Amino acid sequence: MCDRNEYIPSAYEIKDVVKQTDAEYTFRVAYSADVKPGQFFEVSIPKFGESPISISEIGPDYIDLTIRKVGRVTSEIFTYTGGDKLFMRGPYGNGFDLDVFKGKELIVAAGGTGVSPVKPVIDYFAANPGEVTSCKVLLGYKSQQDILFKNSLANWTSSLDVSLTLDRAEEGYGGRVGFVSALVPGLDIANPPEAQVIVVGPPAMITSTAKEFLNRGIAISNIWISLERRMCCGIGKCGHCRINDQYVCLDGPVFNYEKGVNLVD
Amino acid sequence: MGLVLSASRFGKLMEEWSKKYDIYAPALFEGSGPFSDTDQVRYAKVTSLEEIVFDKKSNYPFKEAILPITQVLFYFTEDEVREAAPRGRDAVIFLRSCDFNALRSLDAIYIRNVIEDHYYKGVRERAKFVVMGCESSFDNCFCVDMETNTCSGYDAYIHLEADSVTLDIVNPELADSFSFESGENAQITPKFVTATTTRVNIPGNLDASVAGSDMWDEYHTRCTSCGRCNFVCPTCTCFSMQDVSYTDNGKCGERRRVWASCQVDGFTDMAGGHSFRANKGQRTRYRVLHKVYDFKKRNGYHMCVGCGRCSDACQEYISFSACVNKLEKAMGVK
Amino acid sequence: MDINVKKVKKNAFRVTKHRGLTASRVRVPGGDITSEQLRIVAEIADKYGNGKAHITTRQGFEIPGIKYEDMPKVNEMLQPLIDQLGINQDTPGTGYTSAGTRNITACIGNRVCPFANVETSRIAKRIDKAVFPHDLHFKIAITGCPNDCVKARMHDFGLIAATMPQYERDRCISCYACEKACRLKATQALKIVNERIEREHTKCIGCGECVLNCPTRAWTRSKQRYFRLAIMGRTGKKNPRLAEDFLLWADEDSCVQIIKNTYKYVTNYINLGAPGGKEHIGYIVDRTGFHEFKKWALEDVKLGPDTIVKEHVNWGGIRYGLHY
Repeated sequence: MCDRNEYIPSAYEIKDVVKQTDAEYTFRVAYSADVKPGQFFEVSIPKFGESPISISEIGPDYIDLTIRKVGRVTSEIFTYTGGDKLFMRGPYGNGFDLDVFKGKELIVAAGGTGVSPVKPVIDYFAANPGEVTSCKVLLGYKSQQDILFKNSLANWTSSLDVSLTLDRAEEGYGGRVGFVSALVPGLDIANPPEAQVIVVGPPAMITSTAKEFLNRGIAISNIWISLERRMCCGIGKCGHCRINDQYVCLDGPVFNYEKGVNLVD
Repeated sequence: MGLVLSASRFGKLMEEWSKKYDIYAPALFEGSGPFSDTDQVRYAKVTSLEEIVFDKKSNYPFKEAILPITQVLFYFTEDEVREAAPRGRDAVIFLRSCDFNALRSLDAIYIRNVIEDHYYKGVRERAKFVVMGCESSFDNCFCVDMETNTCSGYDAYIHLEADSVTLDIVNPELADSFSFESGENAQITPKFVTATTTRVNIPGNLDASVAGSDMWDEYHTRCTSCGRCNFVCPTCTCFSMQDVSYTDNGKCGERRRVWASCQVDGFTDMAGGHSFRANKGQRTRYRVLHKVYDFKKRNGYHMCVGCGRCSDACQEYISFSACVNKLEKAMGVK
Repeated sequence: MDINVKKVKKNAFRVTKHRGLTASRVRVPGGDITSEQLRIVAEIADKYGNGKAHITTRQGFEIPGIKYEDMPKVNEMLQPLIDQLGINQDTPGTGYTSAGTRNITACIGNRVCPFANVETSRIAKRIDKAVFPHDLHFKIAITGCPNDCVKARMHDFGLIAATMPQYERDRCISCYACEKACRLKATQALKIVNERIEREHTKCIGCGECVLNCPTRAWTRSKQRYFRLAIMGRTGKKNPRLAEDFLLWADEDSCVQIIKNTYKYVTNYINLGAPGGKEHIGYIVDRTGFHEFKKWALEDVKLGPDTIVKEHVNWGGIRYGLHY
């Protein structure tokens, strides 16, 4: 067969496995082809099938995939260690266009597992802080146990303005409490009409946070969201992720909010 | 090449085709309806004219002849993936004008939507299509309003007369190694329906505001989300992946795809527990607007071909055409 | 007035509480009647009765208010009805030959009902032809599915129609509508294994819910129709009880043959000293034991390969007089 069979996955070697939380592990996979922040891979998970997994870090010869243990069936993948093989295909989706943010004031708001797809963007500007006028990162998690990428968090804080908030107050926690959206009204935004904003998280978080940004005078066309939907194929065939005339896997998962606000599930 | 053949001569031609092709046509499945002593017409491999049902609309469309309900994509072992063998033979598929037009929608998704589907393409390229004429429309048909009552680009055309078969062979490959007698040549006119009892009005200025209408609410209580409307639709193409492991360690097995329905529970379920459109009225909205609005926005023509099978199949008597005819009033109205 | 009430009763007329007035009893096997036949009932009621008819629990009509002397004229009027219903009759024009065996009832069956697995009234008529007229007190009913709308389980013989669901794996789209229907409405006979369905035959009652609920025809009905033959259910003043299963997955011919055989068994064992010489089958089986009945019932019956014959059958029910 000369035509390409997109459904056939390839085996990639796992270089390392890092436990993020009790339910989330990051698999570092050997990978050196082109890939963009915000894209995803279809990852074969034994006894479960395939799942779209966002790329949570892009390295010179690796990518990170942060996988959440959900249900009883996916747990087997958590027995995998370095040297094991993972079946994957991709990358799929449009991803974030970093050029859009360069030279601009950038605000990234992310909640829970929504931090994964946007992490490579934060990583990039943490490493290259001079490429944006400023970069604020607003992160929201349910509890301390749910905080992802603790190691990266330290790196980010040294070059970017990072705020972290938890849904509920907990013992021994002295930080901020409340939803990410609640951080927006008090945010110091130098030039709202020109600022670029990324919002990623659960559907309700996206809606409420984007609304707060609009209230702050952010242009709707400067807001970017990344959607998470069920996807079986990643290539615009299976239909599960379609919203209106858009396929999240092909046309997204990153949408400009001007379009995204009108997508009715 | 217009032809009028006796039934026996057409039988000979089918024998010739059978040597090279798998012939798929609507056939009678006695007693296989949901209720006892009811029959179904659906696609089957046939070898003779007698097996082909001309006088009824098939309950299920032709799509299963190129998009099987279950299709194994590949077999996997611990560190290897092996593609499932493609279908052995080329296919000849008998279908009506509406269904032939539906092929365009299948192609839009499986071939033209950015990335080609390897499996679909492999079968599609090896299929020839014989359009069956329609003497008159069936219940719930509204092909004329969807402009799918006629078609062109088929490989052959066929209809039955009292004691002969009227044929137009467009693709010469279908006339290969068969010599027609001079008396069999004829001037033929394809039978295409020109009017249907059921009519639809899709407002020319239809816009997304209709999604917010309360017209969808009644379907939440009427629809049972069984998915029949999707499975009998010649243009519904959604599928889900299934991994089946043959052994306990789960590292050896097959990955298959299976038809899916946007009406059935679980369609939008994500691993993390989120899902969308819990309301069945909203699922109806999602389905209906794809057929007459969203698909067109992306592809330039309507997805629905007006075959009416969704209305035929609905056990709750939800009529697709009646729903579409509510759209004009519902626009801009909450 | 001098009337032989035994003859009256044998001619399907009733001795009523109103002196001088009888009622004509019209038997409609399987409850399947045409409008033309209904009109005959109406005409008799208008001409010789009191303008009323009672719809009986056994799918017949009782036309009251008829004078005894009008019986021959009523019988004459009944003749086209008897002909059309295909009722066995000794001498034409003499009305119904009624007896101990009761009208064979059926639910509406698959002429109308989506649940029914068979055309129940056709079978009712077949059995009617095979056993009528007969003095022995038999109650027989046919129901289209285990919903048992006809209350077959209150009969000496209850035929509960079933289908053996056929599963085409590759047509299954894993919607689990069948599994859900079976779990919620029937016996949880379906299990999801590897995203497909496995049917536990020993749990399956053949109701057809899976077939009805399947949106892709992965489930279809078997060509062969099956019956659950429940026996010796009854009402009455001693020990009313539900019929218990004798055969599972039996074929129609065997059921008919078993009923016919049971007439021989009853003829052999009936206690003629019982009041009116009438003893109900169930009490005879109680007396002889199930195994003697079974021996007679299955004589020369060629059961199909799928049929399961119960080794023992035990009945429960209410025993009047033992309970307060």
